[in-house]
Amino acid sequence: MDNALIKPSIMKIVRALCTLLAIAVLLFAVRALWIRYQVEPVTRDGKVLADVVPVATDVAGLITEVRVHDNQMVQQGQVLLVIDPSRYVLVLQQAQANLGGQRAALAEAEREDRRNRSMSNVVASEVIEQGQAKVEELRMTVAQAIAARDLARLNLDRTQIKAPVSGEVANVTLQPGIYLTVGKPAIALVDAASTRVEGYFEETKLQRVHIGDRVSIHLMGVSGEIRGHVDSIASAIQDRERTGDIAKLADVNPAFTWVRLAQRIPVRIAIDDVPKGIRLVPGQTATVVVHSADEPRGLLPW
Amino acid sequence: MLEELHVFGVYLPTALVWAVVAGVLAHLLRGVWQRLPWSGALGHAGVWELALFALLWWALTVGADRFIHYG
Repeated sequence: MDNALIKPSIMKIVRALCTLLAIAVLLFAVRALWIRYQVEPVTRDGKVLADVVPVATDVAGLITEVRVHDNQMVQQGQVLLVIDPSRYVLVLQQAQANLGGQRAALAEAEREDRRNRSMSNVVASEVIEQGQAKVEELRMTVAQAIAARDLARLNLDRTQIKAPVSGEVANVTLQPGIYLTVGKPAIALVDAASTRVEGYFEETKLQRVHIGDRVSIHLMGVSGEIRGHVDSIASAIQDRERTGDIAKLADVNPAFTWVRLAQRIPVRIAIDDVPKGIRLVPGQTATVVVHSADEPRGLLPW
Repeated sequence: MLEELHVFGVYLPTALVWAVVAGVLAHLLRGVWQRLPWSGALGHAGVWELALFALLWWALTVGADRFIHYG
């Protein structure tokens, strides 16, 4: 064959092979990017969280003393607020007086009953029975008065609002003179021991997250790595396409979405080590990187 | 793994930043590629440009994950 004919055909083959090589490189890079950004268990959607106890009052009244200041650390049982006890002291005194009266009446009824019984030959049976009934009735009244006194004492005790857990009080704006009603949360108490990080992972990434996996946490704008481990994965999330409570008929939204976004599943991260100088504030944004046991060790993502 | 970059107070996802950087680099390298005398012999230029862009994007991602730290 002629050299002039061979050369162009070799060139064609070289060009085709080079194009195939380029396609192979492209597919390789796209797959690597896909795994890095879509499969690796990493999320920017993480939060530092802690359990917050909305401390409420059990008795109504005016605040006379606020014994904590904003962002103060408190110990379990420490008094946070005092509600004006005057009314409750009076109620206790009233209950004690009432109890005393009832006890005196009972003692008198018992004496009378004993007397009647000792003179059963001259006292009618009906009178004796009435005396016994009166004693029983007064015993019950005394028991009732004791309960009322104990309740008054409890209410008086509850005028001192104590910390149910150790932690830090937040957003304290209370001042003496403010009236608190029963059950209304007065102070937010952040339970320091419950501080954790929750990463909201896309459901597509969850297969690579296992309980016990090591985790790196980076707070927004803070250098340094917080270490932790996967404590648990949410057992359920709400189905937003369906309404209706338990024991009601299902009401499923008849929507058809062309583009669907992966839902987020909360993964709870227990904190093992916080570098010095880093302060965890519940609510902070965190990036959570899970070092899955089956993650590739080399440069390539598979 | 570096997931976001702090740019003048705005936290941008690294995927977006590296894609833009890779796009610019690929565009610059495209000019160099076209000036090479034997570039025509290496098949379709468009496919190579796409491959170069994706490769640069991935290389920037891996490099940043390894060498850039948060803060």
